[in-house]
Amino acid sequence: MAEQNRSQPLTALGDLRVLELCDEKGQYMGKLLADMGADVIKVEPPGGDAARRVGPFLDDTPGPERSLSFWYHNTSKRAITLDLERPEGQRLFKELARRADILLESQPPGYLDRLGLGYDDLSALNPRLIMTSLTPFGQTGPYRDYLASDLTLLALGGVMASCGYSEADFPDAPPIRPDGGHAWYIGCHYGVASTLVALLWRDLTGQGQRLDVSIQEAVSCTTEVALPMWLYNNTVVIRQTGRHAASFITPQTQHPTADGRLLNTFATGRDPASWTRLVEWLASEGMAEDLADPRYGDPLVRMGAATHQEPYHVAEVLGRFIARHTAEELFQGGQTRGLPWSIVRFPEETLADEHFRDRGFFVEVHHPEAGRALTYPGEPYRFSATPWRLRRRAPLVGEDNEAVLGGELGLSAAELDRLRSRGII
Amino acid sequence: MPTPLPLAHVRVVDFTWVIAGPQATRILADFGAETVRVEYHSNLDTIRNTGPFVEQAPGVNRSGFFNNMNRAKRSITLNVHHPDAFRLLKQLIALSDVVIENYSSRVMEDWGLGYEELRRIKPDIIYLSLSGFGHFGRHRDYITWGPTAQALSGLTAMSGLPGLPPAGWGYSYMDHTAGFYGAIAVLMALHHRNRTGQGQWIDMSQAQVGMALTGSAILDYVANGRPYKRPGNPPGNRLTDRPAAPHGAYPCRDGEWCAIAVFTDDQWRGLRHAMGEPAWTQEPRFASLSQRCAHQDELDELVGAWTRHQDATELMQRLQAAGVPAGRVQVSRMRAEEDPQLAHRGYLVETDHPEIGRWRVEAEPALLSATPSRIERAAPVLGEANGYVYQELLGLPDEDYARLVDEAAV
Repeated sequence: MAEQNRSQPLTALGDLRVLELCDEKGQYMGKLLADMGADVIKVEPPGGDAARRVGPFLDDTPGPERSLSFWYHNTSKRAITLDLERPEGQRLFKELARRADILLESQPPGYLDRLGLGYDDLSALNPRLIMTSLTPFGQTGPYRDYLASDLTLLALGGVMASCGYSEADFPDAPPIRPDGGHAWYIGCHYGVASTLVALLWRDLTGQGQRLDVSIQEAVSCTTEVALPMWLYNNTVVIRQTGRHAASFITPQTQHPTADGRLLNTFATGRDPASWTRLVEWLASEGMAEDLADPRYGDPLVRMGAATHQEPYHVAEVLGRFIARHTAEELFQGGQTRGLPWSIVRFPEETLADEHFRDRGFFVEVHHPEAGRALTYPGEPYRFSATPWRLRRRAPLVGEDNEAVLGGELGLSAAELDRLRSRGII
Repeated sequence: MPTPLPLAHVRVVDFTWVIAGPQATRILADFGAETVRVEYHSNLDTIRNTGPFVEQAPGVNRSGFFNNMNRAKRSITLNVHHPDAFRLLKQLIALSDVVIENYSSRVMEDWGLGYEELRRIKPDIIYLSLSGFGHFGRHRDYITWGPTAQALSGLTAMSGLPGLPPAGWGYSYMDHTAGFYGAIAVLMALHHRNRTGQGQWIDMSQAQVGMALTGSAILDYVANGRPYKRPGNPPGNRLTDRPAAPHGAYPCRDGEWCAIAVFTDDQWRGLRHAMGEPAWTQEPRFASLSQRCAHQDELDELVGAWTRHQDATELMQRLQAAGVPAGRVQVSRMRAEEDPQLAHRGYLVETDHPEIGRWRVEAEPALLSATPSRIERAAPVLGEANGYVYQELLGLPDEDYARLVDEAAV
């Protein structure tokens, strides 16, 4: 188990050694643990994992040390190479598993068992081991061996059925897969949360265990009201442009601004105070139309699109006001009046956000090989005692072979050379 | 004997509402944490009054949405305007491990329950605040709902067809997701406390969590100077991070859709075979992956003309048998009633609610061999745990409790 380095700030997970045998499906689990201090050793096949072939690439030049996607999802880890299909690779992996607290893996179901590296084999060596298997459909069941991708899992898990366009706006538009690899994110979020649950149980009892996590099922637990609408009202929600899928056509919440942007106005008017300020604001510019009418004072009238026409009218009046102002004016003006308004921003625009700079969100990561530092998104949570910390750029292929296989497992330089020349590392 | 629940020793004071906070405590409660929702009649969690309702009849204990988010938790009522309220709250916090709230950022401080005060009450308390913008920074008073956070972080703009307004997310993805990080953070903090005895404050911003999910796009901009906002983006159902074609959702019979993702020549051969080797597939413009990517519009048209006559489920099965990644686009009904894999996993489990009866809720998607999740109760009826918390846990004598009830303190 890794020693807590006393010169470093406290970490939440600094006592943990984690082995990660994951491709792009599961690599984010390792990042979440590594950035909180766990010693995560990524085990890749010689030459590197397939996730290194996912773009975008530095200077648009593909290569195992140039994938920006790989860089982002593998920070703070170490990396070794091992050919697990050969006996020497398997033996070394078992040595590592003997010393590990957690094994994260996203291999096809049954693959590690066939290599003699399944949970039964490894837990016999290390009963404290927590082994988390994250796969598209789980370890058993009729779809266990189905082929899958981010797209097909967002389809089968129900996300795509809710994301897309109103039929009236764009007839025949398909259901949409939000870009960015969210099936993997959702799977990894559940994978990490449940691994930590198992860790807390081990803290109490010393007992390890096996976790079987299905990405499809995780996605299917992430569709908000769509499932209860079916269970309780036998209703299936319908897709609507830029807003919640619902059982009926709801008012627009995405409005064009004077400077060609879009403003999101979801939940406008929910509380009386911000509604009053909104109407005053519109009135001060002579644009409130009839919204000062007392009937709009009732939130069930102004918000109740299922039973009232007023919400559609409110959205139209808002749309006319928004069309006369810039996005920034509306964002600041709305928020200072207690309205949850926001500009529909592109990811790169967040880099200039002063509030998130105040919070120190973006961090600089040094890439010696590229001769420069790059700005990365930083902490998703701010811990007062054990801060999140991006300790190192993603590892190079086999970068830590000597430290781990030599330094820790005691292989000599000659043995490492021999393994290298035989393609085992 | 039932398996142990792994978090049964953890007590959570749960001030959360809507979705983001309740999603965090849902995971903790599903694994056994005693999670006490603190509520009051005059300021209810809006989800208690949000449908779907059982038999479409509204009522604070009748929302199916609330039942799905809050199963396995307990509920007490407490009127924070009553002079005894904070004394009672502090007694409960002193007996607890975790405090979680997703109010706007000044509420707990205004109540005199900021982290400094919480740790005076319980030195090793773990306090999670989950607001839109976090508790510090110049916009700490700005507020979000899920769609606000999605728009701010860039996620909305990353979803849609090129040239059209964003499709965005058809639900509050960032409520679920901020909740996942909330649960993860609390679990990490509990592990640290187990080792050191030290508690801490975790300050989260829902919008900030969304920004952590845009790493590849940010790095492409920072390293290559390529903004996400560019012609062709968002890419609809196509991929920009690797070649794949055909890759999309294709129309099927009866208004259904099937997602098909072809990455390799083998998979292309499988698709051709499944389609019955139509002549057009032999044309040079589709001969290689790069050619297929360059002619995706025509390819989508031709594949779609074939899928249009297929049953989506049979199409998925046939393509899978031919070695092609495929999955039908499933609405909730299909996931709940028809998907054999989800059924095999036990995706839905039944709970028994004292007012609305037996209803299915989502189970946890992680199966733990030694300490599986077990959802032992439905969502709490408002105030159902008042007796348990005020009398058993806090030890209030009968007459004191009766007085609190009389004075509408609880």
